Amino acid sequence: MKQIIELDINDEVHELAVEPYDSLLRTLRDRAGLQGTKKGCDSGGCGCCTVLVDGKAMYSCMTMVMSVQDKKITTVEGLPEGGELDPLQQAFIDAGAVQCGYCTCGIMMASKQLLNENPNPSEAEIRKGISGNLCRCTGYQKIVEAIQLAAAATKNG
Amino acid sequence: MTELNVIGKSVIRPDAHDKVTGGKKYPVNYTLPGMLHMKMLRSPYPHAKIISIDTSAAEKLAGVRAVITPDDVPQQYFTPVYFVPHLAKSMPHDFVLMSDTVRWAGQPVAAVAASSEDIAEQALELIDVEYEELPTVFDPEEAMKDGAPQLHESAPNNIAKAPSFTFGDLDTGFEDADHIFEGVYETQRVHTCYMEPRVCVADSDTQGNITIHSSMQHTFGLREKLAYALDIPESKVNVVKPTYIGGGFGGKLDIGFIEGLSSLLSLKTGKPVRAEHSRGEDFIATTRNPVKVYLKTGVKKDGTYTARYIKSVLDAGAHATHGAEVIMVHGLYGTFFPWKCANQTWDGFTVYTNNMIGGGYRGYGAPQGCFAVESQNDEICETLGVDPIEFRLKNTHREGDPHPVLQGHTLSSYKIEECLRQGAERIGFDKRQAAGSDEGVKKKGIGFACHPLWVSGCVGFPDIYEHSGATVKLNRDGTADVVSACVDLGSGQITMLSQVVAEELGLKIEDVKIVYADTDTAPFDAPTHASRATYSAGLATKAAAVETKKRLFKAAAAVMEANADDLILENGMVMVKGAPDSAVPMVDIIARAESPFIQVTDEGPQPTTIAEKGTIIGTSSMAPPTNPSPVGAQFIELEVDTETGEVEILRVVHSTDVGQVIHPNSAEGQVEGGFQQGLGYALMENLQFDQETGACLSADFLDYKIPTAMEMPSKIESIFIDSNEPSGPYGAKSMSEMCLIVPAAAIANAVYNAIGVRITDLPITPEKVLRALGKL
Repeated sequence: MKQIIELDINDEVHELAVEPYDSLLRTLRDRAGLQGTKKGCDSGGCGCCTVLVDGKAMYSCMTMVMSVQDKKITTVEGLPEGGELDPLQQAFIDAGAVQCGYCTCGIMMASKQLLNENPNPSEAEIRKGISGNLCRCTGYQKIVEAIQLAAAATKNG
Repeated sequence: MTELNVIGKSVIRPDAHDKVTGGKKYPVNYTLPGMLHMKMLRSPYPHAKIISIDTSAAEKLAGVRAVITPDDVPQQYFTPVYFVPHLAKSMPHDFVLMSDTVRWAGQPVAAVAASSEDIAEQALELIDVEYEELPTVFDPEEAMKDGAPQLHESAPNNIAKAPSFTFGDLDTGFEDADHIFEGVYETQRVHTCYMEPRVCVADSDTQGNITIHSSMQHTFGLREKLAYALDIPESKVNVVKPTYIGGGFGGKLDIGFIEGLSSLLSLKTGKPVRAEHSRGEDFIATTRNPVKVYLKTGVKKDGTYTARYIKSVLDAGAHATHGAEVIMVHGLYGTFFPWKCANQTWDGFTVYTNNMIGGGYRGYGAPQGCFAVESQNDEICETLGVDPIEFRLKNTHREGDPHPVLQGHTLSSYKIEECLRQGAERIGFDKRQAAGSDEGVKKKGIGFACHPLWVSGCVGFPDIYEHSGATVKLNRDGTADVVSACVDLGSGQITMLSQVVAEELGLKIEDVKIVYADTDTAPFDAPTHASRATYSAGLATKAAAVETKKRLFKAAAAVMEANADDLILENGMVMVKGAPDSAVPMVDIIARAESPFIQVTDEGPQPTTIAEKGTIIGTSSMAPPTNPSPVGAQFIELEVDTETGEVEILRVVHSTDVGQVIHPNSAEGQVEGGFQQGLGYALMENLQFDQETGACLSADFLDYKIPTAMEMPSKIESIFIDSNEPSGPYGAKSMSEMCLIVPAAAIANAVYNAIGVRITDLPITPEKVLRALGKL
């Protein structure tokens, strides 16, 4: 039986009908209509579905929605502020870090936590920070460059 | 050559903004009101006859709208490979959407459409199938033996296809040899690991027409195969081109079960039906065929080839599908023709087994061939003490030589020497130490591999589609809309086509839009595969833009009272050549052409003429004139930990001749991403199956490991050789498969240089390294 829950997604309270066994990923995509979060494997293996839960990057496919009802969820749709792209989004465009783009949103969310906690990460720290996210197109090199660009832009801006 | 404004510049990719803000336009996001969800029941047995299927309990479950079994599916046998006609003579017609004979574990035997995914899943558990198990064979060489279980009546000894090429005389060639080298090189089953699952939504109308959205690499291929599978005319199927898809790499190059079965269920229920693979289903949907290569090469003391015999045994799995074409490409372009050797024979075998069916995968038979040939080349150089760069150059073709495969064509741009020399210099190849001479626990090694022949499409292959088309329309605001059925897999086709049109029409990149296309409205385009899009679709799109420009000049000639042949287009202005004062903004011409007969201007109503009327539009449909070869070499420096067997990549230099580079940043991205896949192929990836049950043991990313950012080297260095292909769009050839053809061989050769022991079967795992070192 579906239940009605309230969920804080991107600073907006959503009232949603969910199955008690729904993952946060399914809730976001199929119940809340937020399709920016992608399903790549549904088993915690690829990171396409990464979102922030109270600022921490989590695989939304492995997170039960019932366990995050009192938490703040941030998805890619919540990254821009005041109509401006987040520095990470702009950097991913500028660095050419996007090919098929299917992993991109998940990687940006993992990077968001990384930069929030460590505004000046080394290359090794960046690589570790996104090692829970798979990309099959880019070889990660331009993704690493994008995160470095975003870190610099955040520091300067 | 005139100066290029947009080509050769790393412009901002037009698709990047949508993708970083959530990416709305993937097929996985497509939904329709009232849509049903399909799930497939798959056989647990690798070889069995279905005795009966009872679906009554499933049909009674609330929310279930329809269940189909083999009895409901047209028994249309064909090849599901998109780029050949469904009944191509060169391909076995052994594939059907659903059969009562199971030949691999995981083959769909029933499908359910229900109001939710959960209900469809539950319904699968209520379907009762009675099977009669049949004997199995999983090893292709076992399958070829007399008495082995037979998979298809049409294929004695399970041989689906056995092509052969020969020239010269092998016996004479081997007699002339000073040395003869023999080896066996084996490659494994790997998955493309596209990130977006195979997914589709099929929607039928009351007259039996189907509209389908799908994550795939060939709009028109899906139309053709779906119509044939359903036994309906092609005109009843409309395939909507996905704006983009979440990767393909060859893994979405054939009609899947989901497109056919969801369409049947939509026809049956009158509702749209969505189907999406789980990751486990994706892992058993497509693979690079494993190939075992027996290689015997005769050489003179100085390293000149005198003879070569190659035998390649390809494991097709339960149906031939791509395996029937991969063997050809592996033979022609992967082993036989890349190198000059006067006496050669190649025997290929595509063999049925009870393994999963194969598919396309970037490189299409060449990574397997390159690994074998370049491993042995390295061995030859090592044994004879000849310089490995000079050895390659002695045995490769040269620029201006006749094309070795295409009679009457030449290798017009072919800078293999520059690739080898510049790559060698960059990595410091002359400082390479003798194999196994590093005395540390962690041993450093340098190695390389090159591949001296590849394709920019499929001109010259029998039975393979190779034409493209486009329509380019100028709008009144000076922007252009481009209709093209060429699918962007992520490798940048949207960007490339936009650049071509922008360059031809003197527009800014942001003023060109690749718009909606479907098979009802767009000209045919072959798939995005075979490194063909830049060269073939690029040429056709350029041709459409040229037509558009002609139309613009026709209207301008009337407006400007000039001769159309004297007009040029520069920076958005149309002018008579040599007379800048005559310049009229392009937008004014377009506005005049699209306006009603009387145009209201500042000076009041003005008459216009019939000659200048009409939309400024151009269209094209054409095959490219030839098939220029990109070439490439990759140099690797790595370190082997002799205590753990682990290999760490320290440096990668990839040097390649792709003609004029269209978009340097994207070209680097192809090299870097290709190396990620090549590294996985060389060291990590292996799709494994239980040899008794045929069940996939590594059907998720926890068991099937691909390189993360941590396994990748800090920097992959790309060298693009200065080159220009005269037949290409603005001098371009294609490039993307070369980036994955060479890495495994280059890594294997570097591992040999580090430890002094050669490993001839992929992947080179720590266990194999330790075994090679005598530590296991």
